[in-house]
Amino acid sequence: MSSHTNNPPEADSDSINFYDPAVAAHPQPVFRRLRDRCPVRKPIPGVAVCLSRYEDVLFALRHPEIFSAVMPAGLIGNVRPLIPLNVDPPEQTKYRKFLDPLFSNKKMLAMEKGVREIASNIVDRFADDDGCEFNTAFAIPYPSTVFLQLMGLPADDLDHFLSLKNAIIRPDAEDPEEQAKIRNESGEKIYAYFNKYLDEIEKSPRDDLLSLFVTAEVGGERMNREEILDICYLFLLGGLDTVTSTLGCMVSYLAQHPDRRQALVDDPALIPSAIEEMLRWETPVIQVVRTVVQDYTIGGVELKKGDPVTLVLGSANTDDEQFPNADEVDFERMPNKHIAFGSGPHRCLGSHLSRLELRVALEEFHRRIPEYTIKPGETPVYSHAIREVTYLPLQFGKGQK
Amino acid sequence: MPGGGGKIEHDRDACVGHGRCYVLAPDVFDEDERGHGVLKLASVPAELQDQARAAAENCPEDAISFQPDDAT
Repeated sequence: MSSHTNNPPEADSDSINFYDPAVAAHPQPVFRRLRDRCPVRKPIPGVAVCLSRYEDVLFALRHPEIFSAVMPAGLIGNVRPLIPLNVDPPEQTKYRKFLDPLFSNKKMLAMEKGVREIASNIVDRFADDDGCEFNTAFAIPYPSTVFLQLMGLPADDLDHFLSLKNAIIRPDAEDPEEQAKIRNESGEKIYAYFNKYLDEIEKSPRDDLLSLFVTAEVGGERMNREEILDICYLFLLGGLDTVTSTLGCMVSYLAQHPDRRQALVDDPALIPSAIEEMLRWETPVIQVVRTVVQDYTIGGVELKKGDPVTLVLGSANTDDEQFPNADEVDFERMPNKHIAFGSGPHRCLGSHLSRLELRVALEEFHRRIPEYTIKPGETPVYSHAIREVTYLPLQFGKGQK
Repeated sequence: MPGGGGKIEHDRDACVGHGRCYVLAPDVFDEDERGHGVLKLASVPAELQDQARAAAENCPEDAISFQPDDAT
């Protein structure tokens, strides 16, 4: 077991770097090292303190008065904090009271037929082929199409939408200054894009989410344009990328574990609990960030007001202290209190949408393509931070075609 | 184990709407407008003990406690 010190240990020779694509592909052993050696530590000098135990991560997520989600604007091309992510209770609560009902389990289930049609139509495009690159063929267009429909935006805007999102999340540059420039330019375009639609909708509201944003009362008054834009900005980033990444992680796992894939094909009723277990094991959103707003000691380490903290959700979800045989992927695991969608007041607003999209996708994909493997000679490529499988070459059928 | 019922409690203040309870225990929990869990019954009959236990054990906020009658 680890020994605790008063200061977060700095990175050692065995430095743990989540930005390494090899780590992103197989992060679980790295999480174990992190938990076993120093559950509270600085993995990279000068960067955030890292919490890696389930218990500590859970505590931080549930206590925004110590670990605040309020972030300065500008890190991701935004000019103001994102709503409701970068706002803490009590102010955050008024936004969640408005938004939660729009994304409730019931509301999302009511969309199932339309979501299934979108999934099925996309599978149609490649079901008769020998294989596909799953990310481009399915994981990217599917949640984005669902999202545009939900928001009431034209389906033709898909490519524009994706390029705006990608420039923010994965700017095509090595230099941090160049990255910031790309993000800021894209951020301006995102505000402009939504501004244009909001202008139209204010004149003639429709029956969609954006119209509701314009007309609804939140905490007793209508939201101003900036508040609406700050929600839309978050939705664009959160609504598209996370489901794409999660689907890629899950299908990549299934392609590499034929017995598990077969179990889902044989018994689709197993899909919901398999999704929970793959959310736990793969945890596509590896980490979230918080800022310490009052001096606090956790895991024997003194944190100072102002310290940035990284909560490693992926590590929490593979902690043996919480999950017996944590390294074993058990599609019928019970109980399974994973925190892939976070915990506390900032619980992922889109968790019910995500669960619907994931279930429908795995049902439709496996109904049409029950057998597939990673294309022989090829290797899936994972991106860091949010684990998108940017290259996932699949071969359909039992093998040689 | 003899199939007795039990007592279930739900801390509405701790609930943030993960929705595990009404999915895993649909006869014990309902969903409110925000997607938060709502207890359908205070006292759990024997045939719903498994559902009640699943709801309590799977709540990521530890907002649910279940006390089976046959617990010693």
